Amino acid sequence: MKSISLYVDNGSWLCRVHPFTKLAYIVTAISVPLIGGTLWLFAAFIALSLAVLASGHLLRRVTPLVAFSFTILITIFLIHGLFNQNNQTPLFQIGPLRFYQEGLLYALRIGCNVLNMLFSFAILVLSTKPSELVEELEKRGFSRRIGYIIISVFQIVPQMMGTMSTITDAQRSRGMETEGNLLTRAKAFLPLISPVVMSALINTRERAVALEVRGFAAKQKKTYLADRTPHRGDKPITIALLALIVLAAGWRIAQCL
Amino acid sequence: MNLFKTKFNAATIVLIPACIGINYLGKMFASLLKLPLWLDSIGTCIGGCLGGPVIGAICGAANNLIYGFTAGDNITLIYALTSLGIGVAAGIMARLGFMKSFPKALLTAVVAGLVAVLISTPLNVIFWGGTTGNVWGDMVFAATQAAGMPVLLGSLLDEIVVDVPDKIITLIVVFFVLKGLPKKLTALYDANAKVERLD
Repeated sequence: MKSISLYVDNGSWLCRVHPFTKLAYIVTAISVPLIGGTLWLFAAFIALSLAVLASGHLLRRVTPLVAFSFTILITIFLIHGLFNQNNQTPLFQIGPLRFYQEGLLYALRIGCNVLNMLFSFAILVLSTKPSELVEELEKRGFSRRIGYIIISVFQIVPQMMGTMSTITDAQRSRGMETEGNLLTRAKAFLPLISPVVMSALINTRERAVALEVRGFAAKQKKTYLADRTPHRGDKPITIALLALIVLAAGWRIAQCL
Repeated sequence: MNLFKTKFNAATIVLIPACIGINYLGKMFASLLKLPLWLDSIGTCIGGCLGGPVIGAICGAANNLIYGFTAGDNITLIYALTSLGIGVAAGIMARLGFMKSFPKALLTAVVAGLVAVLISTPLNVIFWGGTTGNVWGDMVFAATQAAGMPVLLGSLLDEIVVDVPDKIITLIVVFFVLKGLPKKLTALYDANAKVERLD
């Protein structure tokens, strides 16, 4: 069964750092360039995220994530470079298409923001086990019910994918077409999805009974199976990151005065 | 009848991850069959119809937050608000009785679609400069920009072209699934049900 989480334990230092430290990094990486408001801050944080990813040997696994949003970024560059309302200064021309400076700058800003978010999130996503993140949150008083919801998504989805491939095979063997023109493919959607959805919903009843039998609603304080050893970098890194946000805010306010 | 009354027992807590899984499947089937729609809110709507607007809202928001934080799809993160709105809309419409017959379900679909459009459009403009990442919608957006219309209007049309058909197909699926569910299952989530005691 294939997990939907992208986490793989490759033994690097990033996997041992506390999830909260990585969350603090995300907050800093996204807020500082937005507070600062200049383009080079985006570039600086993109470079920093890439350096962190490289030091954790995760650089190769980021590529599919970037490839996914690349098509969207290209449409943004095309649409705004060609048709943005503020376009005045022509920059260059490819065949009949004329690209303008204002639109391209606007697209560059959006693109930098997206890439910055993508890379900073990649640090957390690629190096943190979802259940570990949830457990740490629960230790700090996060609702156990919501914690259960998050963890069980990771168990349910691979199960459903198993059911889904069984049902796809079953319907194909009955002669249903899943390839061809748009109408054929659209007609295939309902007979494929409804059996999976039905079985998923019917299974919830048994799951609920099983949970109640195991004392899910009990009010007692629960203990944790795994105890994690804190990384020595956790505290200094978090403090430095939060200081950066304050610094950026101070710099911006000083600029406005 | 209270619109927002919600049960928070083990059954509804289990319903939420199942709905999130269903959302994921819908999206997978849509990309498997190369359909030009998202179809990633089937679970959210089922959650809203079965458990009420509050459960629908939790399904929608949790869906985007979980995939955003763990599956690396952080673009969906900002659309958590949209999903939340869809869940609430589907929940309220279902409580008002608008999932009882097929024509009424279509009306629910239009309402859910318009809610999605209203919430998504400002997000699209802020984060993407107006595009949605959907082929058909973005062609409309490019056409409006070439014609010199304002970004907000173009983006609104871009969303309507994609979101309303998307929600109509979603709620057709939801309608037929809900009709096929056994009563002993749906009774688990009914917040207005009364327990009759025999002792």
